[in-house]
Amino acid sequence: MAEEQKTKPCRFWIWALTSVFFRLILISFKGNLNLSSRPEVSTPLTSIRRLAEGYWLKQASMSPYAGSMYHGSPLLLSVLGPLTVQRIKGQPSHLLCSLVFVIADILSAMLLRGIGQKLQMAYGLNARLLGFLKSSRDKVILPCGDIAALVYLWNPFTIVSCVGLSTSPIENLAVILALYGAVTRRVPLAAFGLVMATHLSLYPATLAIPIIILLGYGLDAPPIKLFLQTRSVENEKSSTSTVSKQAKSKQTTRLPFLWKTVVHFLFWVLLWSLYVLVLCALSLNKYGGLEEMFKRTYGFILSIEDLSPNIGVFWYFFAEVFDFFRNFFLIVFHVNILFMLLPLAIRLKHRPCFLAFIYLAISSILKSYPSVGDSALYLSLWALFVNELVDMKFSFFLFCGYLGISLLSPVMHNLWIWRGTGNANFYFGNAIGYACFQIVFVVESVSAMLNHDRALKRSNSNHGKSQELSH
Amino acid sequence: MAGEKRNREEEEVKTDDGSPKIKPRPIVRLGIFLIAHSPVFSVVFSAAGILALLLLPLLAKNTYISENALMPGSARSMLSNRDVSAGSKLVKDIKNFRLSHEGQGVEVQKLIGEYMSEMGAEVYYQKFHPEGNQFHPLHFFSGPDSYTLLDNVSCASYGVNVAGIIRAPRGDGKESIVLASDLLKCGELNTADNFRRAGTVAAALVLKVDGRSERFEDTLSIYAEASNGQMPNLDLINVVNYLAVHRQGFYVRVEKVVSLLSSSWLKIIGEIFEAVGKLAHTLNPDWNFGIPAADYLEGSATLASSLYSQALGIPTGPHGAFRDYQVDAITLKVSPRFPPDSKTRQHDFFLRGARLLEGTIRSVNNLLEKFHQSFFLYLLTSPSKFISVGVYMIAFALLVAPLPMVAASLYIDGCKALTNSTLNPAGNFKSWKWLDAAKQVFALHLLGFIVTLLPYFICQIPGQHSPRNRSIMWGTTSSSLLFITFATIPGCSPFSSRLHGTNWAVVKSVTISAAFIGLCLMSIINFATAEIGALLLVPTCLMAQPIKPALRSRKIKSLLGAFCSMVLLTIGFPVMFFAISKELLGEGLVGLSLGGEFWTWLESLWAWKSATYLYIGMVHLPCWLLCLCILFHPS
Repeated sequence: MAEEQKTKPCRFWIWALTSVFFRLILISFKGNLNLSSRPEVSTPLTSIRRLAEGYWLKQASMSPYAGSMYHGSPLLLSVLGPLTVQRIKGQPSHLLCSLVFVIADILSAMLLRGIGQKLQMAYGLNARLLGFLKSSRDKVILPCGDIAALVYLWNPFTIVSCVGLSTSPIENLAVILALYGAVTRRVPLAAFGLVMATHLSLYPATLAIPIIILLGYGLDAPPIKLFLQTRSVENEKSSTSTVSKQAKSKQTTRLPFLWKTVVHFLFWVLLWSLYVLVLCALSLNKYGGLEEMFKRTYGFILSIEDLSPNIGVFWYFFAEVFDFFRNFFLIVFHVNILFMLLPLAIRLKHRPCFLAFIYLAISSILKSYPSVGDSALYLSLWALFVNELVDMKFSFFLFCGYLGISLLSPVMHNLWIWRGTGNANFYFGNAIGYACFQIVFVVESVSAMLNHDRALKRSNSNHGKSQELSH
Repeated sequence: MAGEKRNREEEEVKTDDGSPKIKPRPIVRLGIFLIAHSPVFSVVFSAAGILALLLLPLLAKNTYISENALMPGSARSMLSNRDVSAGSKLVKDIKNFRLSHEGQGVEVQKLIGEYMSEMGAEVYYQKFHPEGNQFHPLHFFSGPDSYTLLDNVSCASYGVNVAGIIRAPRGDGKESIVLASDLLKCGELNTADNFRRAGTVAAALVLKVDGRSERFEDTLSIYAEASNGQMPNLDLINVVNYLAVHRQGFYVRVEKVVSLLSSSWLKIIGEIFEAVGKLAHTLNPDWNFGIPAADYLEGSATLASSLYSQALGIPTGPHGAFRDYQVDAITLKVSPRFPPDSKTRQHDFFLRGARLLEGTIRSVNNLLEKFHQSFFLYLLTSPSKFISVGVYMIAFALLVAPLPMVAASLYIDGCKALTNSTLNPAGNFKSWKWLDAAKQVFALHLLGFIVTLLPYFICQIPGQHSPRNRSIMWGTTSSSLLFITFATIPGCSPFSSRLHGTNWAVVKSVTISAAFIGLCLMSIINFATAEIGALLLVPTCLMAQPIKPALRSRKIKSLLGAFCSMVLLTIGFPVMFFAISKELLGEGLVGLSLGGEFWTWLESLWAWKSATYLYIGMVHLPCWLLCLCILFHPS
């Protein structure tokens, strides 16, 4: 056992390094792969070609948002923009950008590993508290951090969006940074990650809820009732009935919510947002300022102006819808995400990290410009919960579905765009299939998690009963 | 469709597993019933799939012109006898020129160019290099944009195309007829490439004049198949067919497999269908689906040829270069019945041929948009009969329907077996037992991918090598790679003696799923390849099971099953299948010459970026290897 644990980190590093080399090899073949023009990889928000165009416009003393080409953050433009023009002789173009994305991927994987280690420790602790790990050594706790990091590094979706020069690795990094900060209780870091992620792609704003819960209540754990049950059983064993009644009345009090940390967090969010806004205003002060930025980035995301095909379901719908219904349906589609936030938060408040995963998965389904990079993020977050989701149903079916859909997508695109024998319905049908598989995936994950909690409860009560009986 | 079905089935299984208390819905029960009786249903479905394939000639519909704007034959012909005489003169001039300037091919283009400019056309000459045979199989996915013109071709010989553009004098000058003559074969691609840059091309007709027709009438052969089984819009064939048959009195034919016309088994099937059709007609006079046995034979011979040339993915004529640029194109080969020296007949033939062309061009000119009304996905059973995608997909869907069913049933069995075995260390991973099997399947698919790309590196080896040597290199590298895979990944090897955690049922389930995904993908890329591939792969995958228990049990049924799967695996090996099909065509090949022949055949596939090559390397070969592993599984 100990030997295995010694060799495991070694194997982890070998695999991680291999994935980096694999990326580097693919980067050198980039011209042949032509991934950056694929609609699955780069959306109007994440395409590096649009970013290069925005940078060029800015260099030419024009607004980077002129001509509806660039819709990203002005800060990203200042960081990545210079790298798009710099060329090393004899090397493929955008080499430096690709290296930045590779580094972002590595960082994300390391942060995921850190999150996973924390979660793993919490899982072990909770299991011991509930009395599952006392005697039975057969139940192995999987190193979920390592698994999640490797899933992130070796996921074809991540590799494709890294090599295909979409900016989603950086967006993903910001999201993972926020979660990491919250898990390790580094409040300023969490606030920075959240603000950056929201600034880059808007949808991570929903993560504020799980992060607040995370900071307020602590890490993922089984429902609080279970602990109370366990303790009450133990109390009943040890003490007289009058004392246990008192204890019971005390135990009904909830877990303390750490208001101070949360306020601290909100303060930092405010501070970082101000900081980011000031930077943006400085960088755009000649070209319309912040108003222009909000209109061209968030406005572009919310009003779904670009109807070029992608793997989401919005473009087709809004290409078909009558103009006078457009605003109505825009509201309906966006409220869809918001409607799901509260019920999920209530039901899953004891598992804030899992809640964050669900939010990200849902927003990747209902995003206006989704790409495979978003799926890469939530799939790797999903791998953080391998211990809890061991009994997830449909795993093989979902795997086949994701595989089939991702292979089918370029074929349908080819049929429609190049051969002309298909039409938009072909590609959209594929997108619907993809959305269906994602929905099944989310639903199954949630139900597997709830089943896990139920199973804990059941075994806990059995455990208690057996102890009572033995008494 | 099949995917949905699969979805349903898997769901049913799982709900059955998870919550046995709830009574499942009827549709769930139906799925469970299907999976529980999967052997019976797979036989039924496969048989139905093959029957549906045989029924296709019966289900062919008559073609009709779908685009109303075309109005073929409505315009009065402007061609007169004088034009024909001018044409005859050109032919005579070229002949004389050829005789006097032996071996100076370039000059002929000049002569044609002069004729064109006399007619009032703008004349262009275009030089091109014959492109070498390059290996770019993955470029199938990207459009024609991605392929780069090589500037550094050190080729001494170049060809010259001559192109004349006749613009519409009273229009805005955008509508035009482009005439091009290329006398070198490899000019096709370049010509098409240059046309693309010029603007939208409505249709392209490639004209070939053959020697003498075998039939009594003047014959017009239509070749329509382009690369990767793409067909031109059916309306284009309809227009040509309509004008040729009803206006100019040509006998129109499409390719057919001649050897099938004399096959007795097909004749018997045709007679059975005829009898059934007659019987149905007596029962209800409205049922008119029967066709005469002779028609059935003709139809199936044409259908077989249509399927074959689509499956190869190589165009049947020079028109193939156009289809990649979304230009509908066909090759017309006219063969006159007269002996070449008969003057008056030649004149008459010229006039009719020219009127056919004129009619077609004027009809296409009526189009307001590109061709889009009629079918793109169809199979021809005669020049005036076709089978649309909705009909022929049924045969394929029936053929592959057993795959998800059997995969689901094997998955359940395998998982149960794994749960029962207490030795299994990963006992607590209820729903992740397929991961080990998936690793093995993935490893072999990766190997297939590498083997598919190997020819690229073999082509890079300096020095001249004969196709035979290259195929030997390929074969040895691939087989050594295979053995390395077997040696390094112990789970993969069929020859390792010790027992592994992987259960063969789960491996087979994952293999079948992979085959299913591959076949479904291919059916969208190139239906004909998928259909022929499914005919080979589906029985192989379904029959594959470990041979050892069968030999041990010595029951006739299991021995027969083992023998069948051995035979199917032998036939299923791509080289073997190639040899057998060559044998059937009457070209016996043995030993090393077979390798050379196979390599040359593959080269022809690369030249047109045929997805069939990818299918063979990345779907068929790995699945075949996996079936082999299952066959020798030490269970």
